[in-house]
Amino acid sequence: MVGGALLIGATVAVLGGCLLLVVTVVVVRAARHSRTRRDQMLLSPLRAPLITVASGEDDDGSAAEQLTWATGVSRTVLDGNIVQLLTKIRGVPAEQLVRVLEVHGAVEAAVADLTHRSSVRRARAAQLLGLAQAGHTVPLLVEALRDESVEVRNSAAYALGLIGDAAAAGPVLAAIGLPDRGLPAATAAEALQSMGVGISEVLREGLGDENARTRMVAAHLSGQRSFTRGLPELRHLLDHDTDLTVRETCAAAIGRLGRGEDAAVLARHTLADEPLSLRRACVQALGELGDEGAVPTLAVLLDDPDPRLAELAASALIELGPEGSGALSGHEDDPAVRSARLMASLQKASA
Amino acid sequence: MSAPAGDPDVSPVRVLVADDDADIRDLVEFKLTQAGYAVEAVPDGISAWEAFAANPPQLAVLDVMMPGLSGIDVLRKIRESEFGTVPVLLLSAKSRDSDVDTGFAVGADDYVIKPFSPRELLHRVNGMLARAR
Repeated sequence: MVGGALLIGATVAVLGGCLLLVVTVVVVRAARHSRTRRDQMLLSPLRAPLITVASGEDDDGSAAEQLTWATGVSRTVLDGNIVQLLTKIRGVPAEQLVRVLEVHGAVEAAVADLTHRSSVRRARAAQLLGLAQAGHTVPLLVEALRDESVEVRNSAAYALGLIGDAAAAGPVLAAIGLPDRGLPAATAAEALQSMGVGISEVLREGLGDENARTRMVAAHLSGQRSFTRGLPELRHLLDHDTDLTVRETCAAAIGRLGRGEDAAVLARHTLADEPLSLRRACVQALGELGDEGAVPTLAVLLDDPDPRLAELAASALIELGPEGSGALSGHEDDPAVRSARLMASLQKASA
Repeated sequence: MSAPAGDPDVSPVRVLVADDDADIRDLVEFKLTQAGYAVEAVPDGISAWEAFAANPPQLAVLDVMMPGLSGIDVLRKIRESEFGTVPVLLLSAKSRDSDVDTGFAVGADDYVIKPFSPRELLHRVNGMLARAR
């Protein structure tokens, strides 16, 4: 009887909890829907001038001026909408919308919000400053790269990438290695991609950083951006770095921007005593490098016990043109060669 | 910049615009309308295909990421239809080389990456239509 009562009590408690959850979800969604409808109503009179400016059809500036007249909650909603639009358009329309934000004091408010106690406000502030191309706030955004919140750090890096000031490249790269507050490598890489050729020296220095992820990002971007001045460092890291991922990234970078003599550099690391992942990376890089000097090395690898390595070697030979394809004779029935040929023909068909 | 002047007795050039983002849809529609095109704007891929099949336009601007049918799916259907030569411009936030390669491989005539310049978009539309004549 006691057990039955307990069972009933537990069932009621669970059902009550589920009901409470459902009611909470419904109330939150209804509130969000109501807020969205309110925002749409507030934005409705400003929609036409907003679209006119955003589409670049506001030649006389009258639509932009209309937008500057917005006040109160309408202004807040409008500014939010403008920020969203700035992620979608660029050019003169974007510049006109930024000026509306400046007149509304939104840019100034964002500068103040960079030190707000709410990390959400700080992150949104950084995003707005980046979209507004507020170059004068670069020092503040660099400071925000050290924020305790990863969302703020990411947002600051994104903003610095949008502004594109090469002076921020060093701090962005250095932020990867900050203890406990490191910037994700992918975020840093994306931000640095947007900065100009002025970052080549920063990347070269980054190849010598004590943090492996920093070296990896520097190597990756050197290859992506064809910064050949870092080649000596890339070769050195491929030979000697203690971190395998760094070595693999250097191999890929050398494949992209190396010279003929780098075929021998890469070939050294395809030998059986090297880690398998590095061997694979070097084989792929040899195909990308495109030097026929790699043909003998790759031909030997067709018989490698690792099927994936053999396939990569076959793909690299196909990439090297007639000289490379000639080395495949006698291996036509090898599964690795058949697979590589199939991939090559599929890629050719889709091109 | 407006669309090339044409015979006033001839109907304006019809352009289909498909994007689930209301801001993009509205501003592209406005830009092209101001340039003299007759624009039909729809919010998703299924509507885009239905609109195309019902009344094929002279050019289509398709967002890639749309609910239901993607822009790529709609493009594929266009290329397989009897009006398969209609110029199609893909508009997308997907900017990787592989995304662009896919777009052109399926048959896009142009691929514009967001954030985009509305003015540049209009130039590309004008150019595609001029070459199609």
